[in-house]
Amino acid sequence: MNTILLQNLVTPNVSLQAVLPEMIVAFTGIIVMIYDSFMPKQRMVTGALSLIGLAASAFALFSMWGEAPASSWNGMIANDGLRMSFTLVFLFVSAMTILISTVWTERENVPIGEYHALLLFATFGMMFMAAGNDMVIIFLGLETLSIATYVMAGLRKSDLKSNESAMKYFILGSFASAFLLYGMALIYGATASTNITQIASMVGKANFPALLLIGGAMLIIGFGFKVATVPFHVWTPDVYEGAPTPVTGFMAAGPKASAFASFLRVFVIGFPLVSGAQASAFLHESWVTALTVMAILTMTVGNISAIVQNNVKRMLAYSSISHAGYAMVGFIGAGVAKTMQDRDEAIAAVAFYMLTYAVTNLGAFAIVTLIAQKNDRRTEFDDYNGIGFKSPVLAFSLSLFMLSLLGLPLTAGFMGKVLVFRPALEAGSTLLTVMVVIAVVNTAISAYYYLRLIVVMFFRERTTSWLEPKVSGALAAVLIITILGVFYFGIFSDNVIEKFSGKPSVQSAQIK
Amino acid sequence: MDFITENLLTILILLPAFGAISVLGHQMFWKKDEQAKWVTLFWVILNFVLSLLLLGSHAVSASGFSFEKNIPWIKAINTNYHVGVDGLSIWLVILTTFIMPIAVLSTWHAVEKRHTAFYVFLLLLESAMLGVFTSLDLLVFYLFFEASLVPMFFLIGIWGGENRIYAAVKFFIFTALGSLLMLVAIIALYYLQASATGVGSFDYVVLLNSMQAGKLVLAGGTGALLFLAFALAFSIKVPLFPFHTWLPDAHTEAPTAGSVILAAVLLKMGTYGIMRFCFTLFPEASHEWAWLFIILAIIGIIYGALVAMVQPDIKRLVAYSSVAHMGFVVLGMFSFTEYGMQGALYQMLNHGVSTGALFLLVGFIYERRHTRAITEYGGLASVMPVYTAIFIFTTMSSIGLPFLNGFVGEFLTMVGMWQSTAVSHPWVATMFAGTGVIFAAVYLLWMVQRVFFGKVTNPKNKKLSDLNWRELGLIAPLLFLMIFMGVYPSPFLNRSKESVVAIEERLNKRAGGTIEKVEAKTQTHESGH
Repeated sequence: MNTILLQNLVTPNVSLQAVLPEMIVAFTGIIVMIYDSFMPKQRMVTGALSLIGLAASAFALFSMWGEAPASSWNGMIANDGLRMSFTLVFLFVSAMTILISTVWTERENVPIGEYHALLLFATFGMMFMAAGNDMVIIFLGLETLSIATYVMAGLRKSDLKSNESAMKYFILGSFASAFLLYGMALIYGATASTNITQIASMVGKANFPALLLIGGAMLIIGFGFKVATVPFHVWTPDVYEGAPTPVTGFMAAGPKASAFASFLRVFVIGFPLVSGAQASAFLHESWVTALTVMAILTMTVGNISAIVQNNVKRMLAYSSISHAGYAMVGFIGAGVAKTMQDRDEAIAAVAFYMLTYAVTNLGAFAIVTLIAQKNDRRTEFDDYNGIGFKSPVLAFSLSLFMLSLLGLPLTAGFMGKVLVFRPALEAGSTLLTVMVVIAVVNTAISAYYYLRLIVVMFFRERTTSWLEPKVSGALAAVLIITILGVFYFGIFSDNVIEKFSGKPSVQSAQIK
Repeated sequence: MDFITENLLTILILLPAFGAISVLGHQMFWKKDEQAKWVTLFWVILNFVLSLLLLGSHAVSASGFSFEKNIPWIKAINTNYHVGVDGLSIWLVILTTFIMPIAVLSTWHAVEKRHTAFYVFLLLLESAMLGVFTSLDLLVFYLFFEASLVPMFFLIGIWGGENRIYAAVKFFIFTALGSLLMLVAIIALYYLQASATGVGSFDYVVLLNSMQAGKLVLAGGTGALLFLAFALAFSIKVPLFPFHTWLPDAHTEAPTAGSVILAAVLLKMGTYGIMRFCFTLFPEASHEWAWLFIILAIIGIIYGALVAMVQPDIKRLVAYSSVAHMGFVVLGMFSFTEYGMQGALYQMLNHGVSTGALFLLVGFIYERRHTRAITEYGGLASVMPVYTAIFIFTTMSSIGLPFLNGFVGEFLTMVGMWQSTAVSHPWVATMFAGTGVIFAAVYLLWMVQRVFFGKVTNPKNKKLSDLNWRELGLIAPLLFLMIFMGVYPSPFLNRSKESVVAIEERLNKRAGGTIEKVEAKTQTHESGH
């Protein structure tokens, strides 16, 4: 009798080591918060603390990289390539954001300690979204992230636009979270599990295939909102424009990537094509088609809307929408991959794409923050008129970032694009090939607005006075890191790609 | 010395980029903006001298390339830095390095602002162009092909004429769109190779061998789509009618050095690409679609000539004449005969020399008068006799007068087209092309008449100074080449012969049964035409 009971009892598989990077970030956040409540407004100290925490977390992450893929906490936490590579992106984004924010927190009266703590909590949330192999963990991570970013968007309390941004983000974000949660519930109803690995093994024999479909659709809406894909993108431009510039840069690079991480895990790993099971085939085909249509719409709408913008932040907001579309091309490529290895490579490609986008975008936002001056006043295209030869270093760096966003060879953006287009072309299906063709046509369209910034800076003359902004040490560090990053990922991407795709996902490791 | 010959192509590609850095460094340390041109001149002349080493003998690999270098670049996607030259590319490489010093000298006084930046872009452009002509890995080729856009974009946009922004953006987007579709085709080829042999590759030589061994077979539809994606990218670059509209704008607005490089080298990337990649990778599709390109080329020849006739602006006139001349090159290539392709290749060099010279000459007069309108001039012969003589000489070369370079190329092209079996009635195409030559004489001579002869009507033209020594020195090597290439073409043709014959064989050996069918198809197209 006793033995049977014991057998049924699941021993909690507590392994703190498995979540060490996350824990470090969370504890740093708490320390920063406590420190700030006793000694407020010491931006150097809290900033340095946060950076140290992020570095320590990255160190822990690297030490885990070599371990064999596994899951712990009773399958709730994955230790695989997807988590590793995306977590690296998050840590990088947060560190850069802290450095970029120095300019802004200095000239505006921002509760700095809280800002750093919030940023760390948001990072913690993102890391859990990538690590979670269970929908509950993913949701927890997502909410931790969202609540922190809602507050960050509204940090400039006296500014109406910032308030509007936070409010919109909060209301629409909660709405999307509700969809997500409902979708998770329905999936649970169909598969009797919230664990991604178990869901994957159950989709073929689900009791109510219709529940799976509806649940999947709900999840697409929820994640679609977080990733900002068309038609769930409408909040993006307003929120991005209103939020403080460094926060905008953070939101475009970090939370977007984290949403991609869990989106990928739930759909590509959770809803695979199980041979011989009709229900899974139907579900798989449905989500691949739906996402393909969404990817096409996202790229096209994002690009065409970006063309008509006169505000640089808004332009970058729409550009980030279109980039989500390009990343989805790789996502879909992962979804239709024929072998586990191809799938892992495609997942790594999406992670690499988010890394290249983060490097480029943060570099661009660093310069936009610098030029914006107090209260984000100078963010119109006209404010950039003719600064090319007045501040050549800034202008050429910004041009480089624009060319990388455009995806010109030798820059990070090019390698990112090549890698995400590859898996979609490999599938050899007409629909996916058409999608890739539309993606490259979109790239050509996007040349117009990326070049416009270069045109404005270099080909026009300045009529108004120009006060060259002072580049602080922290910002110089950001610029050097991002510029080197753009070239490094563009020319010597071999090491990074190998690292990213070197560690397979838990599922494919099990099959081997 | 061994090190130099071993890595010659890499040195040629990287030296200008290194020069660009040195120009920047020069500006940073000495702050003498104006002196940037001297530093630049040093690098481009050094590069030209080094490029002459290519003419020396060097081991030829099994794939027909010499000075080959193959180093792994990104292992994850199996792409290699693979460069090499053969008879097809060697002259284009030398043309590039030869034109660069002339381009730099042409801007000696013309650049009025931001010298350092100007020369940095010029040098980066040279690196990219040399990369295009030498890379044998499709991804690396694409990389250079696309990278050449950026410096040119800045050159037109910053130092161009009034309408420069429009021209620069149009130039960039047109060419980028075409080449991006080529990128899709390149990646698709990679996967076709991967599914055929197990290992994907971007390497041109590997792909070609795999096709010749019959492993990688491109089925009808796939081959045609890939061919069209490549051909579209190149057609925009050439530019072939109806993708030519960016060219007159870009040419007119670009500074003189930009126009010279654009005409002499950048356009050749398109025709070179067609010959190197489209013909050898997709021989069946090339045959299948030859009729389209021949028709477009003929339209380009005649349309370019007619539009050139009515241009009020000298530079625009020369730009449209480029459309017509490049039509000739495309026509010769698509004849699929040895003569036609040799003629096309020769015509590519001729166009570089003659049209490059014409743009230079237009630049000279523009520097004096700051206008390019034909009506502003008249009777220059009496004011600037030397200039007039040189201009007329260059015009003759462009028209294709016997004993000048243009004649050889046009003659070979037409002979090749006449023999061609690519379309059913090659003589029709040849005839139309012949009319193009006559039109060329009309618009160029008419322009010459209006600009140089008659009485000096505009008082502003009365005191124009004739060419100075720098300008004479600039144009002299081009004039020499016009005569030399006109009377003694064999060194050029002999060097390229082997490679061209290899392409021609590749195009026609595959023929067998498939081509017969294709011919029948083209006949129906032609009869409908």
